[in-house]
Amino acid sequence: MTPTGHQGPVGSRPASAGPELRSWAPLLALIVLCLGFGLAEPGFATVENLWTIADRSAIPLILAVGSTFIILQGSIDLSIEGVMAVSSLTFAMCALNSRTGLDLGVLGLVLAIFAGAGLGLLSGLVTTCLRVPSFMVTLGVWSLSAGIAMLLSGDQPPLIKDPMLRAFGLGRGLAVPNLFLVAVTVVLLGYALQSYTRFGRYSMVIGGGEDLARLLGLPVDRYKVLAFAFAGLLSGLGGALESARIGLGHVEVGVGQMFATITAVVIGGTSLGGGRGGVLQSVVGTLTLAVLTNGMIFVGISPYAQKAVQGALILLAVLVTTWPLRSRLRIVK
Amino acid sequence: MKRAMSCPAMITACVAVIVIVAAPATAAEPICDKSDIRVVNSMREIAQPYHADLDKGGRLFAAWAGLKDYVLQLNQGDSDKQISLMRLLMATNPRCTIFNVEPNADLVVKPMVDAANRSGAWIVTHWAHNEGLHPFDGNDHWIAHIAVDSLGAGVAISRHLVDAIGHTGGVVALQGRLDTDPARKRFAGLQQVLQNTPGVRLLDQQTANWDRTAAFPIVQTWLTKYGDRINGVWAANDDMALGALEALRAAGLAGKIPVVGVDGIPEAIAAVEKGEMVATVSSDAYYQGSIGLAMGTCVLTGQVPLPASWPKEKREFYLKLVVITRDNAAQYLREPQPSAYVADWQCDKLWNRSTGKAF
Repeated sequence: MTPTGHQGPVGSRPASAGPELRSWAPLLALIVLCLGFGLAEPGFATVENLWTIADRSAIPLILAVGSTFIILQGSIDLSIEGVMAVSSLTFAMCALNSRTGLDLGVLGLVLAIFAGAGLGLLSGLVTTCLRVPSFMVTLGVWSLSAGIAMLLSGDQPPLIKDPMLRAFGLGRGLAVPNLFLVAVTVVLLGYALQSYTRFGRYSMVIGGGEDLARLLGLPVDRYKVLAFAFAGLLSGLGGALESARIGLGHVEVGVGQMFATITAVVIGGTSLGGGRGGVLQSVVGTLTLAVLTNGMIFVGISPYAQKAVQGALILLAVLVTTWPLRSRLRIVK
Repeated sequence: MKRAMSCPAMITACVAVIVIVAAPATAAEPICDKSDIRVVNSMREIAQPYHADLDKGGRLFAAWAGLKDYVLQLNQGDSDKQISLMRLLMATNPRCTIFNVEPNADLVVKPMVDAANRSGAWIVTHWAHNEGLHPFDGNDHWIAHIAVDSLGAGVAISRHLVDAIGHTGGVVALQGRLDTDPARKRFAGLQQVLQNTPGVRLLDQQTANWDRTAAFPIVQTWLTKYGDRINGVWAANDDMALGALEALRAAGLAGKIPVVGVDGIPEAIAAVEKGEMVATVSSDAYYQGSIGLAMGTCVLTGQVPLPASWPKEKREFYLKLVVITRDNAAQYLREPQPSAYVADWQCDKLWNRSTGKAF
């Protein structure tokens, strides 16, 4: 993808967390949302519900960190749901399960993550080597991996019987859901990658202006492949963890996650054009969505209206986030 | 002249041919040789046990009836794909082709029935029902529509749920996709039972789109919001019921709060046996995956007259549902044998499981 025409900063500085209002707008929106729900329904603002929200956002957070780097580079990853399905089944069939005789335990988790990374690598290589837009490539990989998952699943989805893995997926350590602890670790890792490594800084540069980055002699393709592999790895992790939680390997384990992830990244303030945003922004975006779905149940919005309310609030959030950018957006695609 | 027949002679010959071909058909002579019969199951996907069992039922029947040509068509929820896959097969040997179909949506029933009427293929539909469209309204190749009494299913599980909580307390309900007919009717069944059970209150209802992963966080949120005011969980299908069960397990409540679902998938039956679920309702996927093929085969081999001559209640009827509770769970846990269905596949027993005219 080429940059979308805004004159974004082309430099090797990390995520712009400057004093400008726009970086804080999504966080502000999140806080307002929390206050609103808390005032409307006091049960919302309890420690217990905090952990419920944390649990709900654990897997979306992991997925969002992966997608952040891809979107920062100006690409897009549509293969999340397919990759999650493959890793979900790989994990379920390698851990102690009802279908195969394997009992690899945590090694199964590692294999599932590798499967995800492999699919991500494939997306990255096809995008860069064959110069096909990531939109098309990852759409293809989505179908491909959903097909593989379907084959693996066959006619009986494998049930996970390993009590330790199940307990990890469902359990809490010191009140905090285990999966949320994993998500926090991933977020910290993502933030470190973004701020302290060449990968993070170059991702920003590539998104800001890929042609310029190439002129500067940066190994653009290498970092793009890396970003896809990293996102695939995290989708794999997400799929496997979701399986540990619900107790089986399932083709539809990631249904709805692709749009949710992209939405979360964008309402957090990462520009779809690339070059702007970061991991922490995506965290805010993900939490906003989690608070929204949780809060709507708390205040008792009719399920018939929830989709509409969610859509309206997302539009509002995007509007607030991008308002200060209007003047700089020359081309809107 | 030797070279050409006269016009009246040609017409006579034509009529003769038609009579020769058509007369036996009306007298229920075989339409197709058994080796020409092709049986097709058309459904969404087979990743879920319900659909896998539909496919297994179809295969069991084909093997039992000695039919070699069994085709499985999967459309991944894409209605256009479902129709075009069916049209593809209708291009060859349509008159000996039988489709046993789970239509993706109500609206695709009409195009697929039209295609069958036009090509001469035979079709039996399940579940989705296009309001105002009936097999007996001149759709001679639409053998039958086998409806599932979703309201009855909703009522049955709701009764077991309120019984399990002693007719007092609060329940929460997980709905299916709100724009689907089974979702609406199953929920209407719950509402009907609750109206007659003043002691039980519906605390909240949300949709989890039939999906296990979606049900999990919703139930978690409810547990946080309502705490011990929740005495029972109602789910419009087993997948969501099992997602709810895992959320209860995470809170240490599995087996303590009764859960009910619909479909009778193996995992749910296992959960019923363990006492973690109270009841589920099965339409018997093996039966649904085979009965349409059995009907078609009986028609094509001339063992029953053409569907056009059947009474209405044989062409549009409700399927008997089985409620699975702890008492009878064990017998549904085993993989069924063809012997369990052979009696229902006999040409004079095709309506064994009908509970009467649908709609």
